[in-house]
Amino acid sequence: MAAFAYNQEALVNLKIEDTSVLDRLVDFSSARAAHLKKDHSQRDKRMSLSEAVAEFVQDGDIATDTGFAYVRTCHQAYFEMIRQGKKGLHFIGSPNTNQSYMINFGVCAYSHNSYIGAEMRGTDRNYSRQLKNGKVKILSEWSHGTMAQGFKAAQLGAPGIFSKQMLGSDIIRYNPYVRVMQNPMRSDPDPVVFIPALYPDVSVIHVQQCDKCGNARIYGPAVNDIAIAAAARKLIITAEEIVPEIDLRYNNKGVVIPFMNVDAVVELPFGAVPGNMPGYYYWSRQWWEKFLRYGTLNDENLQEFMQYWVFDCKDQFDFVEKLGGARWIAKSRRLTKAAEYDNEDEGFDFSYEPYTLKKDPGVYY
Amino acid sequence: MTNDKPLNPLEMLAYILSLQIRDHQVVYVGTGLPMVAAILAKKTHAPHITMVYESGGLNPIPGDMPWSVGCPFTWRKAALIQEMAYSFAQVYNGFVDIAFLGFAQVDMYGNVNTHLIGNDFLQPKVRLTGSGGNNDLTSLAENMVLVGLHTPDKFPARVDFITSVGHLTGGASRREAGLLGNGPIAVVTNAGVFDFEEENKRMRVQSLQPGVNFELAQLCTGFELLRPEGEIPVTPAPSPEVLAILRTQVDPNGVFTSIPGM
Repeated sequence: MAAFAYNQEALVNLKIEDTSVLDRLVDFSSARAAHLKKDHSQRDKRMSLSEAVAEFVQDGDIATDTGFAYVRTCHQAYFEMIRQGKKGLHFIGSPNTNQSYMINFGVCAYSHNSYIGAEMRGTDRNYSRQLKNGKVKILSEWSHGTMAQGFKAAQLGAPGIFSKQMLGSDIIRYNPYVRVMQNPMRSDPDPVVFIPALYPDVSVIHVQQCDKCGNARIYGPAVNDIAIAAAARKLIITAEEIVPEIDLRYNNKGVVIPFMNVDAVVELPFGAVPGNMPGYYYWSRQWWEKFLRYGTLNDENLQEFMQYWVFDCKDQFDFVEKLGGARWIAKSRRLTKAAEYDNEDEGFDFSYEPYTLKKDPGVYY
Repeated sequence: MTNDKPLNPLEMLAYILSLQIRDHQVVYVGTGLPMVAAILAKKTHAPHITMVYESGGLNPIPGDMPWSVGCPFTWRKAALIQEMAYSFAQVYNGFVDIAFLGFAQVDMYGNVNTHLIGNDFLQPKVRLTGSGGNNDLTSLAENMVLVGLHTPDKFPARVDFITSVGHLTGGASRREAGLLGNGPIAVVTNAGVFDFEEENKRMRVQSLQPGVNFELAQLCTGFELLRPEGEIPVTPAPSPEVLAILRTQVDPNGVFTSIPGM
């Protein structure tokens, strides 16, 4: 393993004594070796979600939050990690909203943080509580853009990127990986931040369609997932649909992940519920409101909430049944297609009754 | 919502925020009131603006109010959707005129905190979201406008954590730190609109909301506000026509601009 020069101030501020916990995220040599060791043949990589998670997600791995918090995010794969009792993983992502509930079950023990929460639906009180209780340790703080640059550097095949973001901020004082330097191209003072290329151990990326070898098509925001696919040592693609390879050849629009990146392909319709899957289904607004307003209120609520939605569901179909089954599917598809303007939206009403602690509408649109 | 209800503070905020936008600008929009303001501007005085969002959406066709900077309404039939790294890169490269964001705390130099409340990072009183795109936009944008509610604890002399550098310690310190653009040019709150004095870069009253005087604004602020020369202007309130557009076309369900009981 290479030897790394970490930002000493950040190590002190974050109270990180054994820096070996930080190494794999920036260890290009082992990422390249892992990529070289993969079976590069074009072959059928299909397996079940439980097989893929069992084989490729190991305790202690650096895993990612992909999609955008609740847009094209592989929630059902996270839930499977919880059900299988995975332990001690690191999570990194921008945003990293979905780390939070995994801390309570020991799945996530280390946090690379950029943004945790659900925008206007409020602060995630669970993350705050787990942090203070020592159930999760922050290893680094980022902005969305600089973490994106770290993943992008990996995809570009570069050791890192010089950035103009984060300069002068306290984030730099809580990130062991970044360093303020003088721009080597300038002879007058020009501070820049060196952002190293980032290499997660294992990523799950949920896509609309892929072929059986893993060539994958994304519709809607790709966010960081194209870069993450190139960087991750192990990659599971979960897909709404598995299409014939010829379909990707004749309509290559949106095909962004090459099969060589991919270790496992999982046919997983509704793999992003309760989030939004562009082209397929809307996010479950009341589910997220109930999660944030009720579930994160205390540890007991979160346990009860996740018991119902995760442990008492053997798969995503059980989950969809609880959301409302066929009626939910039809309404949710209509909502996203009207939102994307693939369906007529004239006269279509996007309003709904929000979940509040005083009133639970009992539906999850 | 009908027009006979009195103007509420959030509607006023959305309106005065929209006035920061000029027609034909490229506007980088964060969640919440910034979205409301940008859409209101587009439907009123600035019909030709281009909105860009963090998840990469560019100039979506109008739809319902976005509930996230990644939601379909931010990239609705957008001709292209850029990856996150490129979404911020267009700000660095000078293709964005103005950006809007919220804050949990802002200090006398326009530095922003969205990380935590308290003075111990490892044991905060409250842990907040973290940066998201706040630091990126504040570091790179040519012009940044901050929006939020005005209370003494949200306006401390020094923020508990500098998530995003505004004017750092004043004077030329922002530029010396290596950051781009003008930094925050305005802070828009329910008390008034504030700018930053040209030399020392301290926060200064630009105008105050109807019914708010300097003493009241100062009372709501944890540091000494600078006074502009002469009489302090009163922030203009929206015309009934603009208010009707806000209520019926921009945020008809009052997701961002309704206050329970009002």
